[in-house]
Amino acid sequence: MTSRYEPETLELGDASPEALYELFEKRHWGDGLPLVPPTRERVDAMLELAAGEPDEVLATLLPRAGVVTRRVVAINAVLAGCPPAVFPVVLSAVRALARPEVNLRGVNATTHPVAPLVIVHGEIAARAGFHAGVGAFGPGNRANATTGRAVRLLLLHVAGARPGFGDAATHGQPAKYSYCVAENLAECPWEGYAASRGVDAPSAVTVFCGEGPHNIHDAEAAGDPALILDKIASAMTSLGANNAPISQAEFFVALGPEHAQSLAVRGLTRPDVASYLYEHARMPARVFRRHFEELAWAEWMKIADDDDLLPMTGHPDNVRVFVAGGPGKHSLLMPSWGMTRSATVPVEG
Amino acid sequence: MSATTIYLPESAPGPPPASLAASPASLAGLRIAVLDNGKPNAAVVMARAAETLAARVGAEVSLVIKKGPGGRSANAAIPCAEDVFARVVEEADLVLTGAADCGSCTAYSVQDSIELEKAGRPAVVVTTTKFRPIAETLSGHFGLPGVRLLVLPHPLGGTPVPTLHAWADAATDRLIALFTKGG
Repeated sequence: MTSRYEPETLELGDASPEALYELFEKRHWGDGLPLVPPTRERVDAMLELAAGEPDEVLATLLPRAGVVTRRVVAINAVLAGCPPAVFPVVLSAVRALARPEVNLRGVNATTHPVAPLVIVHGEIAARAGFHAGVGAFGPGNRANATTGRAVRLLLLHVAGARPGFGDAATHGQPAKYSYCVAENLAECPWEGYAASRGVDAPSAVTVFCGEGPHNIHDAEAAGDPALILDKIASAMTSLGANNAPISQAEFFVALGPEHAQSLAVRGLTRPDVASYLYEHARMPARVFRRHFEELAWAEWMKIADDDDLLPMTGHPDNVRVFVAGGPGKHSLLMPSWGMTRSATVPVEG
Repeated sequence: MSATTIYLPESAPGPPPASLAASPASLAGLRIAVLDNGKPNAAVVMARAAETLAARVGAEVSLVIKKGPGGRSANAAIPCAEDVFARVVEEADLVLTGAADCGSCTAYSVQDSIELEKAGRPAVVVTTTKFRPIAETLSGHFGLPGVRLLVLPHPLGGTPVPTLHAWADAATDRLIALFTKGG
């Protein structure tokens, strides 16, 4: 039986931006930034992009186990300032976050500064105004900024990820305000990321719960594109990242288009890039063992001799490569929180 | 000025409510398990607390085990392995679980304790002063606001063993109250 949930409403005598801002602050709602009032008219406009019944319970978000309906998502999308065209992306991202392999209970509650990165793939990116080029991670683009913010508001309001209560992040991080980017498919020398993961849909969304981006600059002065990958591997080889003790943890690599092209013209495929990074981001087993009392490693890693070089992740497929950004010789690396897996899902209303 | 209607941003929490297992009137003769999530010093402080409690009330520490498969390892950011959970339920009447001194480990320590309570085993989550608000919030989120919490000083990681033992020894009265009265 399909269950339903109808959100509560409130009559505001004063609907000024200042009054709403104050109300939300008083009730410990919101992300600290100004909000757009979620009136019936605005929420209904958002729901025009929904494909199903607005009050159908679609999922729950942990740790609070708040219920997700299309209307609940629309309310928070309005609050975030989303244009209605992005609503299916927000909804699909939330559906993805509710999947068990994401381990949202841990993602939200941990002291680690993890934030879900939302990556938008396919034709909805251009149609809804998402940005994949120069400065794609922000600021400045409404679709990217508000979609990431809407996801965060849903984590705060529905999942209960309130700092100090449902979210224990020691420091938090700026990506917890908004963390959304579109894949630069136009300048990707390979098939799109979603297709590479077996998601055959016109539009798709990936969610990956990890750190904020770490920059890798290789100006290609040496004329050897392999040096791009050596620098990424160097950044991956960090004892400070949760990938070190947790072998199932993924790395996401956002190659700048110029780096991607340089690698592709040398004949490297996306799996080649992942394999190279898997082979070159390594440390002796003894170093891992010295630093971590508990190692959540694949069984085969546990039998390594102390001098064996072990990879920073347990399988080449855990190195996930997509293209984003504009001109310039930069790429980005995002390590994982660890006990989580990314999810790529078709965009559905 | 006419009123404006807005939707509230929160949705109803959906977990099924749970309740504590029946609390025994006396702890004499009961078996105590320590369910270790592998956090630094978790086993040190919990095993000591269990041993001191057992000596006081005439109980026994029947099992000290890591929560990963086969008890061979532990990962604090996922639930207790099924085989270990079954063994704890089989071999113990009371459980200490933790340490709940970080975010995801608090979430899963609280979750493990709720599952143990549902299985009829009173379970105390060992947390610290700094993570008590998280533990209390999450126990409500998970459907059992009154999870049994033993609150120790913070932090456990990096604290010398003699200090941890002193904290554990000082917890006996609170543990007796938690196991026999629920709080």
